[in-house]
Amino acid sequence: MNQLANLGTALWELSTPIMLFHVAWSMLLGIIVGALPGLTATMGVALMVTLTYSMDTTAAILVLICMYVGAIYGGSRSAILLNIPGTPASAATSLDGYPLARAGLAGQAMGLATAGSVLGTLVGIVIMVTVSPALAELALRFGSYEMFWLALFGVLISGQLTVDTAPIKGYIAGILGLMIAMVGSEGLHAFVRFSPIQPMNGGIGLIPAMVGVFGLAEIMTAMWQRQGVLAAVRDKSDRIIPSFRQVWKYRVTVLRSGVIGTLIGVIPGVGEDIGAWASYAAAKRASKEPEKYGHGSTEGLIAAETGNSAVVPGSLIPALTLAVPGSASAAVLIAALFIHGIRPGPMIMIEQPQFISTMAAILILATIAMGIYGLTMTKLFVQVLRVPYAYLMPLVFTLCVVGTYALSQRLFDVYVMVAFGIIGFMLRQMKYPMAPLVLGIILGTMLDTNLRRSLMLGNGDLWPFITRPISAVFVLIILVAIALNFAVVRRGLARVRTKLVWSRNA
Amino acid sequence: MRMSLADRVTAVVFFALGTAMLVGGYTMDRLEIRQIHPLSIPGLVPMLLGGALAFCALILFFQKNAEGGPDVMIAFGSVSRLALTVALTFAYALILVGWLPFYLATAIFITAFTFVFSWSNEATPRARILMMVKSVVFGGVAAYAVVSLFEKAFLVRLP
Repeated sequence: MNQLANLGTALWELSTPIMLFHVAWSMLLGIIVGALPGLTATMGVALMVTLTYSMDTTAAILVLICMYVGAIYGGSRSAILLNIPGTPASAATSLDGYPLARAGLAGQAMGLATAGSVLGTLVGIVIMVTVSPALAELALRFGSYEMFWLALFGVLISGQLTVDTAPIKGYIAGILGLMIAMVGSEGLHAFVRFSPIQPMNGGIGLIPAMVGVFGLAEIMTAMWQRQGVLAAVRDKSDRIIPSFRQVWKYRVTVLRSGVIGTLIGVIPGVGEDIGAWASYAAAKRASKEPEKYGHGSTEGLIAAETGNSAVVPGSLIPALTLAVPGSASAAVLIAALFIHGIRPGPMIMIEQPQFISTMAAILILATIAMGIYGLTMTKLFVQVLRVPYAYLMPLVFTLCVVGTYALSQRLFDVYVMVAFGIIGFMLRQMKYPMAPLVLGIILGTMLDTNLRRSLMLGNGDLWPFITRPISAVFVLIILVAIALNFAVVRRGLARVRTKLVWSRNA
Repeated sequence: MRMSLADRVTAVVFFALGTAMLVGGYTMDRLEIRQIHPLSIPGLVPMLLGGALAFCALILFFQKNAEGGPDVMIAFGSVSRLALTVALTFAYALILVGWLPFYLATAIFITAFTFVFSWSNEATPRARILMMVKSVVFGGVAAYAVVSLFEKAFLVRLP
């Protein structure tokens, strides 16, 4: 009840003309960024951080959240119209969205995608408001041992789940990120490690590294491949706004996908694309018409869109309460929060108890704006998709340069961005995921200082690492996650499952 | 290039990097003069990470096919487009920015990028001149917009 009252107060305080103006422009920009293939949500949020330096804290966070929500939603536009997901999060959307557009139902598909995104975000917000205070309270019991395991858990799980090939590549990307975090002054004795030149003494900046791997690498990939051609789709849908009956029909799918998306969002560094795929797969398994999936199933479309949008509030839960991002975009948000003087982590409910409600209120405003734009400005987004890369990409790269320079006013950061662009581009071509790399950079310091602090506290005793209750849970999850990579374990589990089913039937 | 070959090459690079980190961590100053706890030496975690990377690189090297399925080719795009993108972006970020005033550097970069990637071999000379004019106008206007937005609206100092 108290949370509800706080949420109402936060919504009232945010409903000023200037804040609504910020919501309007940043959401529109977010949708455009998401709709354009080659520009991802993470890149959009990272570039937007630059624009928020001079804003007050609440306005800055509001602009960044709107960009994040808008970009994830915007990806569905090009996925439906071009069969090219605007962001990786919309890959599952294109499976059913594009066949619907080809059948002349682009308007209906975009309307349903909008409804799915709105409902998915709302389900995520409800879970965020309910779960965050409890998780923050639990996080207060975390000591150095638990924080070490949490950092390791984040990098490992992200490495395992974000890779679409063998998990070893995800692990390598995570370790590379952790290694990058070792550069510069360390946290316990202020000793400078692996720094051949003076500008590296403070370490590798997160924003230049992220803009490099998500911005420049993306530009290089987009220019390397050729731009897609707008499908000759003629919209024959009688209405864009879906009827209440149409949406109510999928209430179970929406609720299931919303919960799955939010839970996926909570897992460190995993992100919206996995949320969409997991929701899509679950909806297909439970569907009465699974054969329609991939051929223009409205249920599949709504499941994918609900799933990826629900990840946004989900990813903010660990970001706010543990300072561990649930997605790559949430990682940039954490960096932005620090820049604006907010310290996410277990103490947030004590230092700024209203902050979770403010975040929820911002998400609600963003969702309303997304719904309005999504249902009224379909034609504009189609026009935006026609902008050629020759005009778009140099502008984006200019923003990458300004964004990296503006924070510390050092050209060195621009060089770091370029270096990470090359590294990111090459690793991507060889199917290494970028999210664990970024998560490694963020969690590296946490892992390093907490491991050494724990060893000092226990005077070299390793038992507390596995005997403390929360640590033991982390160890168990990590071991299970690693063990599941081995075929022999998976086969064993399948045999046990078959036996159980057999004995139940007998 | 086949993915399995690319994986082997990168495995060698990662093994070398991991070993270098391991050695770097081991030989790092242990700050004995400051009498710190021996388990809190700065090189401890780099050593562990270096070892972990070298170990993962070995798995990658000896794993039959990291893709888990049939060996695939790395999807190659247009090498000339990539080379042009790299040349233009690097020239802008590493040379022009900081050397020329930011507005001028940005205008040159955007004009060059737009013109190069709008180029068509089939276009008539007249169409090419028109394209050139369009690129120059776009470059100038876009650079002015970026500089004004950041310097005047968002009070960001530019290089």
